[in-house]
Amino acid sequence: MFALSTSPIDARALQDAMRRPEAGAFVCFEGWVRNTNEGRTVTLLEYEAFEAVACSEGSHILHEARERFGLLDARCAHRVGALAIGDMAVWVGVVSGHRGEAFAACRYIIDEVKKRVPIWKKEHYSDGDSGWVNCECHCGAEVHVHAEPVTEAQLYARQVCLPEVSQEGQDRLRRGRVLIVGAGGLGCPAALYLAAAGVGEIGICDSDTVDASNLHRQILFGIQDIGAPKAERAVDRIKSMYPFTIFTPYPERLTDKNAMEMFCKHDIILDCTDNFEVKFLINDAAVLSKKSAVFASIYQWEGQVQVYQPGTETPCLRCQWPDMPEPDCVRTCAEAGVLGAVPGVFGAMQALEALKLLLGRPALPGLLLFDLLSGQPHRAGLKRSASCPVCGTNPTIRSVDPANYGDGLDVEVEGAGEGNGTFDGFEVIDIREPQEIRERPLAGLKSTAIPASRFEQDSLPLSTDGRYLLCCAHGARSKYLARRLRARGYPHVFSLKGGAEALV
Amino acid sequence: MSANGAKNISVQYFAMLREQRGLSKESLATHAQSAAALYEELRFQHGFTLPLERMRVIVNESFQPWDVSLSEGDEVVFVPPVAGG
Repeated sequence: MFALSTSPIDARALQDAMRRPEAGAFVCFEGWVRNTNEGRTVTLLEYEAFEAVACSEGSHILHEARERFGLLDARCAHRVGALAIGDMAVWVGVVSGHRGEAFAACRYIIDEVKKRVPIWKKEHYSDGDSGWVNCECHCGAEVHVHAEPVTEAQLYARQVCLPEVSQEGQDRLRRGRVLIVGAGGLGCPAALYLAAAGVGEIGICDSDTVDASNLHRQILFGIQDIGAPKAERAVDRIKSMYPFTIFTPYPERLTDKNAMEMFCKHDIILDCTDNFEVKFLINDAAVLSKKSAVFASIYQWEGQVQVYQPGTETPCLRCQWPDMPEPDCVRTCAEAGVLGAVPGVFGAMQALEALKLLLGRPALPGLLLFDLLSGQPHRAGLKRSASCPVCGTNPTIRSVDPANYGDGLDVEVEGAGEGNGTFDGFEVIDIREPQEIRERPLAGLKSTAIPASRFEQDSLPLSTDGRYLLCCAHGARSKYLARRLRARGYPHVFSLKGGAEALV
Repeated sequence: MSANGAKNISVQYFAMLREQRGLSKESLATHAQSAAALYEELRFQHGFTLPLERMRVIVNESFQPWDVSLSEGDEVVFVPPVAGG
């Protein structure tokens, strides 16, 4: 029973009429006239209904709810006409055997009534103004469509008047294609500023989902996005704000398999990630695909920005760090803590550096370090290294080999071992110190003992086509050394996962 | 149907549309083939601010898709975004 009423709703009478012996649960919802809406003081509400259709549509909703939730009864009453603050505008009551379906059905009915029943609400405000809810400019729920179309000239007027930008520069931005790897604390502000500036195409790559602990710094997401895939949700949010940019979500992890293909579709890559594996993959793939890259990292209150631009003197990451540092040697945001505005600053700087590159300005030289707690900036002059393994004159890294990014280095004890005390096809090298080997010999495994320090020398007791399996106590040192040896031109060096411990 | 091929349609307005039109009901003659065409015609005439995408249409007391064709004597109601409750 759905009823429209010009007189006050008698909730008690409606409730009593629904009593029956089988009923175990009664849930009701009352909608009251509130004195504010979207920051304005409301003094009066007027409800208007298309009565015939309102009653048939309302009855239809109640019927649906009874069927869907197996209710014993469901009713709704709605006021029309003028209502004062505090008046009851709508009443929904449901009766069922148990509370679960009663709560759910009550919610369903009021949500559907608000969406489907032709009833309109006009608010009168304390300033004498009035407006139809959901129909006016100030409505919050739906996108307001301007009567006058907005032109790109209007949107970018304040930056086109900069001599460094001008209309020519704005056209360059519109032709620009930027890939953001990591939709986190750095990637969110970077994406916003790039889109706001009118960059033509933006790709967002992230395989993660939104966690509640992300929201304080990952400002494209809100409470309602928790659990949603970041790349797709970021694109959904941002494309509703900036209709002149084409956004592409890549809801996947950047890997050696997809990096080159993804990079080829863009001009500039933003490294907004928080781990060495992906940073070095971005670095190598950018160098190999001849794309510019803007790197940023943050740690608690400080951060750094570095730009690599092919064909210039700007260094790549491997010019300073030929070998990837151990993944576990720095703490992440989760462990070290961070205030959201810190990656906000550095993400905005990454966007700025990308915009400068698109405008044809010279790349930021060297490394910019900035401690935001003390406000102390620091510039470090970095030079391209001729012996860099990827961008140097005689590179050893010529493709994105998964072994260089922490993947593919490990050999598991199970599967690789033949159970006969050897790892088939591998020469096993125990890189532990003699003292360690004495305390815990490799259990029944034929191996050569060469301590890790020996590999620091120029000439190595290895052949470039040999297959070596390095073993240490837990698998950390052997993995580090395996990666370094690969970078020095020994492609078939592996690390025993878990080390000597795993053999026991 | 009138002599020049126009259809006689009755149109009802609610809420914001009623205010912008200045009346709640009228009969009119139109050449519009669909409900969408009729709305656009009236929107142009009366300066309705709500775009078609945000509206729904009822023809002869049931909700219809916007491309529904109109016949002589149809009763049309343009439904602005609702806000019950």
